[in-house]
Amino acid sequence: MEIAYALEHPVKLELSLQVRGFTVLLGESGVGKTSLLKAIAGLIPARGQPFAGLRAEARPVGYLPQHFALFPHLRAWQNVAFPLAHLPLQARRQKALAYLELMGMAELAERYPRQMSGGQQQRVALARALAREPQILLLDEPTSALDVATREEVFAGVLERLRSLQIPTLAATHDQWLAQRADWVAVLTKAGLAQQGSSEEVFTRPASLEVARLVGFRNLLEATVLAVDGVWVQVQTPLGILKAPYRNGISVGQRVMLGVRPEEVFTQEGPENRIRGQVRNLRVQGLRLRGELGVGSVGLAFFLPRYKQAQLELAEGQWLEVALEPRFLHLIPGSGTI
Amino acid sequence: MSDPVFWQTLRLTLEVGLVSTLILLLLGLPLGWVLAHKRFWGKRVLESVVLLPLTLPPTVLGFYLLLLLGQNGPLAQFLGVTWAFRFEGLVVGSVLFSLPFALNGYREAFRSLDLDLIQTARTLGAGSRRVWLEVILPITWPGILSGSILAFAHILGEFGVVLMVGGSLPGKTQMVSIYIYDQVQALQFGRAAEASGVLLVVSFALVYLVRTLEDAWRLRMPSSTR
Repeated sequence: MEIAYALEHPVKLELSLQVRGFTVLLGESGVGKTSLLKAIAGLIPARGQPFAGLRAEARPVGYLPQHFALFPHLRAWQNVAFPLAHLPLQARRQKALAYLELMGMAELAERYPRQMSGGQQQRVALARALAREPQILLLDEPTSALDVATREEVFAGVLERLRSLQIPTLAATHDQWLAQRADWVAVLTKAGLAQQGSSEEVFTRPASLEVARLVGFRNLLEATVLAVDGVWVQVQTPLGILKAPYRNGISVGQRVMLGVRPEEVFTQEGPENRIRGQVRNLRVQGLRLRGELGVGSVGLAFFLPRYKQAQLELAEGQWLEVALEPRFLHLIPGSGTI
Repeated sequence: MSDPVFWQTLRLTLEVGLVSTLILLLLGLPLGWVLAHKRFWGKRVLESVVLLPLTLPPTVLGFYLLLLLGQNGPLAQFLGVTWAFRFEGLVVGSVLFSLPFALNGYREAFRSLDLDLIQTARTLGAGSRRVWLEVILPITWPGILSGSILAFAHILGEFGVVLMVGGSLPGKTQMVSIYIYDQVQALQFGRAAEASGVLLVVSFALVYLVRTLEDAWRLRMPSSTR
């Protein structure tokens, strides 16, 4: 499904993007993700395809705001029956129950929204959106109102059901976890659509510095290309000379940015890209450890799982040698200013 | 309760209260919605105008109404109606004087309504009629009712405006509060005490009802929808 929209207010935005299966619209807050969803739903004035010129109540979309917007005075099944007003009462109830069943919520049919957890509310709201028989589902920050502890488990179940229904879905989010599970990712920045592609492509080969930051490349170092051999590139960096995969448009002498994911700092014991530095700023963050490897004036951020920390017996001030897997490094043309 | 005039007066007061409250509902609901959710040029002026009766001395409001509705007023000249010293005049005065009370209740009820609910209802195929009847009113009715009851109670005890606009013609334009004043002037303390007692009980019951509704309303606005 191709979406092309232009809006003026509250943000100026003009873009066209593909929706393929479960598509994530990734971007920081304030770039207009919510506005785009509302524009597609017909809730704010905009020009574009599909659904051009239709009023909100006539558009075949299923729109889910951040807090799901279940009607507080209606039971779960009555919420789901809301878009089925054209049917006789008995059929309304039956159909509503069927949609609840589809989302695995049939046993909560008689409950009011305030008697449900966030995840349950979300499923009921999805059932209600599906009862509209939409051509596309629009989800605004679908993971943000869920409990952090159970978020992944809860939403993975929802994702599975949406996939099996094969309904095109556009989910606006800044949640990298969600973006990694998408079939297709479109990255929105202040300047407009910065990149779209499969989740793997966007996460491993971000097209610009801004996208790289958004998908978790915490280490972005200025570098100069020394040699190119068609498959590999040698670059001069503050960490020394490193080997990275070639990408189109890179030539000798060019200034580039080198991206290194913090999860991929301790990747191998190989002979290439070896770096020696001093461990500092160690901090436990949930089940992982984050810290920096100080190399000269540069701090290379890293994340480690707990078991790795136990193996390595890491401590601050310790000198350590790591190897950066060349395949996992990523070069972005251009210099450090966006 | 020996004085038959008192019962006439109480009946008239309740009628004025009821009619005025219904008019306030028709006038105040759209106005409350506009003030709660729309932005437009001159909004602050409009807000100040409708809140003016809160600070304006009732006699001043009554005086201007008398000029407007009286025999030589513009309404008489252009429309040929003279509402001063009549039931209609009492209603006009009561509506204007109690507008801020009703409006505050309506506006707060609408303000605390999550607009996502309305937008989502539209995406679910509901036109504005359904949105009002099935979403906005069922969720905000306790706030609307409590605003109306407050306005009604306020009308029952009104003095200055109705005295200016209505005079105090027993059985025709005499409201309970003026009746009480007249009885005291005539040194009929027993009658004044009876009438005052009735107003006290009615007022307390109404305020109690408002408080109950406010609590019910809070339950309707669960944190999960915010």
